[in-house]
Amino acid sequence: MEINLVDYKGRKVIAVTGDIDMYSSPELREALMSFTQKKIPSIAVDFNKVSYIDSSGIATFVEGLKIMKTYGGRLQFFGIPKGIMEIFRFSKLDKVFEIYGSIEEAEGN
Amino acid sequence: MNNSVVVTIPSHPKYLSVVRDITAGIGKVNGLADSIIGDIKLAVDEACSNVMKHAYKGETDKKILLKYKVTKRSFKLTIEDKGTKVNMENMKGRDLEDIKPGGLGIHFIKRVFDVFELDEKKKSGNRLILIKYLKEK
Repeated sequence: MEINLVDYKGRKVIAVTGDIDMYSSPELREALMSFTQKKIPSIAVDFNKVSYIDSSGIATFVEGLKIMKTYGGRLQFFGIPKGIMEIFRFSKLDKVFEIYGSIEEAEGN
Repeated sequence: MNNSVVVTIPSHPKYLSVVRDITAGIGKVNGLADSIIGDIKLAVDEACSNVMKHAYKGETDKKILLKYKVTKRSFKLTIEDKGTKVNMENMKGRDLEDIKPGGLGIHFIKRVFDVFELDEKKKSGNRLILIKYLKEK
């Protein structure tokens, strides 16, 4: 897994490439928490190049969302591949996370 | 069609990607659909993650033995470890409506495998038996 932290029109974007599993999710958690510790109000996660996610990856995002909610922050996802979207739906997390098709769509909401 | 594969991996999370690749490869050479392979791959990853976390409690130098057997009728996998005994009571997963970190892995396993049970006859360590029944072509 590779993580790139990108600024898009003043918005913090975490662009993830590859597999998110029990081995790689601590690195993702570190990136996410580096933003939540600063109480960044809006964080977007680019899923376009995510090839796989397991329960530890999902748990990392749930934890991040819970922290962000304590200070009124927003965690947005975009570009989720079909197979990963099915996992979010099965977990009933498609109703919990803000999910958009693209960063432009996320930005407009 | 009666194919068996036996693999041993170290209990280090970096080997989960190896398990996924092997699982997907076994599914592919036996003609399983990509969607089923994806679901099985996730379930096997979750089962091995559970062994690493709960049976071996994070020790990374132990062994996990995986035995695959694919027939026309089923995809069967047993996962063996020599770690702390776990029991089914502790393998229920969280309520899907109760949104909190963790507790999803068991649901991902039960989502795809028709049989999910621990071999009670195993004296030390654990033997998890997973079976997915396949529709004959």
